[in-house]
Amino acid sequence: MTFVLRMALREIRASWRRLLFFFICIAIGVGTIVALRSVIQSVRGGLAVEARSLIAADMLIRSDRPWSDPVEAAVERERVAGRVTARSETVEVATMVRPAREDVTPRARMVELRAVQEAFPLYGEMTLRDGVYSHELLRGNGVIVRPELLAQLGIAVGDDLLIGTETFEVRGIIATEPGADLGMFSLGPRILIDYADLPTTGLLGFGSQASYEILLAVPDADLQQLDDDLDDELANEFVSVRSYRRSEDRMGRNLTRAENYLSLVGLVVLILGGIGVSSVTRVFVQQKAKAIAVLKCVGATSRRVLAVYMTQVLVLGLAGSLLGVGLAAGAVAWVPSFAGDIATSFQIEYGLQLGATVQGIAIGLLVSLLFSVVPLLEVRHVKPSLLLRQDIPPPTGVDWLKWTVTGSVAAVLVGVAAWQAGSLEVGLLLSGGFVATAWVLHLAGAALIRAIQPLAQARSFVLRQAVLRVARPGNQTRLILLAVGLGAFFILGVRSLQGNLLAEFDIQMGEGAPDMFLMDVQEDQREAVVEFLDQENGPEDPPVLIPVLRAQLVGVDGQNVTLENYEAVRGRGRVSREYTVTYRAGLEDNETLLAGAWWPEAQVDGAPEVSVEESIRNRLDLEIGDRLSFDVLGDIVTARVASVREVDFRDFRAGGFVFVFRPGSFAGIPHGYIATLRGPESVDVRAQAQADLVSRFPNLSVIDLSEVLNTIQALVRNVTLAVMAVGSLVLLSGILILVGAVSMTKFRRVYEAAILKTLGATGRLITAMLLLEYGVLGAIAGTVGGLGAIVLSWAVARYALDMTWEPAPLLTLVGIVATSVLVAAVGVVASLDVLRHKPLATLRSE
Amino acid sequence: MINLRGVSKTVMSGDRPLTILHTLDFDVENGAFLAIVGPSGSGKSTLLGLLAGLDTPTTGSIVIDGVDITTLSEDKLARLRGEKIGFVFQFFHLVPSLTALENILVPMEITGRRDAASRARALLDEVGLAERGHHYPSQLSGGEQQRVALARALANDPPIILADEPTGNLDSKTGHHILELLVEVHRVRRATLILVTHAHDLAAMADRRLALRDGRPVDEPAGVLS
Repeated sequence: MTFVLRMALREIRASWRRLLFFFICIAIGVGTIVALRSVIQSVRGGLAVEARSLIAADMLIRSDRPWSDPVEAAVERERVAGRVTARSETVEVATMVRPAREDVTPRARMVELRAVQEAFPLYGEMTLRDGVYSHELLRGNGVIVRPELLAQLGIAVGDDLLIGTETFEVRGIIATEPGADLGMFSLGPRILIDYADLPTTGLLGFGSQASYEILLAVPDADLQQLDDDLDDELANEFVSVRSYRRSEDRMGRNLTRAENYLSLVGLVVLILGGIGVSSVTRVFVQQKAKAIAVLKCVGATSRRVLAVYMTQVLVLGLAGSLLGVGLAAGAVAWVPSFAGDIATSFQIEYGLQLGATVQGIAIGLLVSLLFSVVPLLEVRHVKPSLLLRQDIPPPTGVDWLKWTVTGSVAAVLVGVAAWQAGSLEVGLLLSGGFVATAWVLHLAGAALIRAIQPLAQARSFVLRQAVLRVARPGNQTRLILLAVGLGAFFILGVRSLQGNLLAEFDIQMGEGAPDMFLMDVQEDQREAVVEFLDQENGPEDPPVLIPVLRAQLVGVDGQNVTLENYEAVRGRGRVSREYTVTYRAGLEDNETLLAGAWWPEAQVDGAPEVSVEESIRNRLDLEIGDRLSFDVLGDIVTARVASVREVDFRDFRAGGFVFVFRPGSFAGIPHGYIATLRGPESVDVRAQAQADLVSRFPNLSVIDLSEVLNTIQALVRNVTLAVMAVGSLVLLSGILILVGAVSMTKFRRVYEAAILKTLGATGRLITAMLLLEYGVLGAIAGTVGGLGAIVLSWAVARYALDMTWEPAPLLTLVGIVATSVLVAAVGVVASLDVLRHKPLATLRSE
Repeated sequence: MINLRGVSKTVMSGDRPLTILHTLDFDVENGAFLAIVGPSGSGKSTLLGLLAGLDTPTTGSIVIDGVDITTLSEDKLARLRGEKIGFVFQFFHLVPSLTALENILVPMEITGRRDAASRARALLDEVGLAERGHHYPSQLSGGEQQRVALARALANDPPIILADEPTGNLDSKTGHHILELLVEVHRVRRATLILVTHAHDLAAMADRRLALRDGRPVDEPAGVLS
């Protein structure tokens, strides 16, 4: 053993520089895995400790309607019975706020308002940026707000804010807030007011989109039972009941899935590094053949020699993995500075997690070992007689051991991928995808190399040499193509997808199309609003008012499916949510009739009829003529299914409605409207118009599509940035492998350069040859990656996102040129000593 | 005691078989000094390689101390070499990534000798390179490299030393010095020494000589084995 260990360490001393780059790849892969897993596990850790903070209670009852008597009665009964030890109510509503000060630019902003009682939060801690939270802060028209709102409105603590018809004083800035959803999506910044102040704002008027919650404190022993009991008892009350454990479970599962999928990125980088290790090991064994023969000559068995080099790989793999852990520690320490806003319900202590670290190191070691074992098996074929004669015939016959080991290595790699993904299916998919991608890159590379072969007859000596060298024996072309091509593929693919995504949203914002929505226009405001808008905009561009009602499906009387009540509908999953529905006489531009017949435009009476969207038809297995019952604010409307429509939801200007009723179906039921209009072009005029509108009609909410679009664009950009960062990691690994491959095969180049120099080649000529050789290689890798990117972005656009796809020829071209230049530069820089060597010394030593 | 019976070696040259060593029988007593002589391509090195178990003969048996080495596996052969045979090559064949001292240490570490370090230093001293143990082969002259190779061959105190033209790649003065060292080892340690050379004056120092030409033993003035 001491022999093996000592020899391994001596070998590392001699060769670590040449192997360095591959193990930096291992480090990057391990670092990615450890960092991602640690961050997500940190979030989960925080979640486990403060799960109740997620909903600010033990249990939550939520409804889109004011509380019905059965709900109130059930809660009161449980309170008396002792299963509920505390209760507190909150109401959430999205609304517009604006500064009361006259001197700031008039601006209105949409916020998510939450009105809370004194006991809020039952769990978790409300923390402020500037002081300590207490309910006293809110009493008497006080409001606390998220910092971004102050920035958006240009106001400060102490200023007044107009909410609905009331004036509130800003008394604090929210830092963390229990009960806030973990995530990045919201209609606007959170603000908190006193529950008692809510009625005076007029926000709970007819048709408002408020969400009501009852927070309960429940002894742990009763939690599960009460959860089940209330769920059963209130099944027909349009409420959802959930305990913090259910939220925790659901979130925990999502986090686990996110952790596993994200870690696959690290695994991809790691496998790239592994392929580099495999290739370098092959060359390494060739170069070490004499030394291996010597060892065998002085008494070492094949097994011990194998053990020496395996140990070497393990030590380097361990070093790479530890470096990766170091990188991860740095990355994780940097997370809190930008992740602060993502989780606002509780504090998270970000740090390296032991489990993730151990896992990362284990995978780093495993990948190093797996990818080097097959090439290292060649050690067995090195005969000691090599020291006496050069012409050793290669071993003949099938090397069963090698094939067995190769098979086992492949199986273990699939296992590792499955382990990391947390699913055998995904593991197989990833492995298969990787093999397929590598194979395609290889084939495409081979085809391109053949395609440029005519250049080998070119008149330019340098070009001829470069083309020949790309295909010469012992080249690293395949490896470089795979590594660099994959990086280029990732980055170009994501870029062109981003371009397509943004273009898609731009189309929807086309000329003259409406770009503002007014929500919650009430029946009696209708005329005033239209008049107001005509004054602002001029009469030639009248606003369109779409009637909206909120309806809940409570029964299906169909040929295939019969659901008798809301409880039964709930059993069908997602169809139980509350829908916003409308009625109108005609089809919209974004709708296509699939089955049945549209009602005659003039018909406005008779039995209610409804047109359903395709997915609902499929989910409920509906036929034309089936009857659907809806609860519309307490009234039951039963409508005959008259037609099925396909709706292009991406075109949201006309609103995407799942259920459209025939006019007259809601006879007598009061309802509100949404209005769509084209706002002024100028940003300032727009802001002024919105502020004026809200000050005249305080209950209205204005959704400015241009802002929504900005948010979406920012989101797309952020996602792109994240994926690009991953692509960059892959490209970086590719470059490292390139540097490694160049320095690995440098001995050949040094020898060639020496011969060329003695034949009269100048340093400049040799530089030009290197530049062109790597330039050609880079161009091939870039072309392969670019073509792959076109296919990738097309497939994702077409099948995953279902949107039109435009090629980005300029991007592809720039990508190919950039890859070529990068590879040429890296290749020449990594070969600098080839130029420096004096020819005589090189030729003598050969 | 080394016994060769019916040993021959045939290799494929292109697609035609080429016999580089024709059937050969001879014995070498323990402690003897045998010189194998002949011009380039006569099969000397091939024979030496067969004796060291670096290669297997096409026919015949080679028995060393009662063990037929032609029946041994690669690994058993490696162990046998480690314990019984020290080999000195014409081109030294030191491991370039190891220092002089480490090159000498390797065979002893393989067999797991406890006194490896002190013995390696003693051997370096013996070949006159005590001060150069930390140098790499590339930092040593040819003669120095060959002395390190000799010390390596002696590391496990093998009863048999095989030397393949050990002076062939050195100037005559250095070569003479190496040869003196070899002969001294043979005398002092009573080791069997088999030396391949094409220089007849070196061969003259041996107890017995085997002359080869085109893979066959040829009559020298005093017969096959003089």
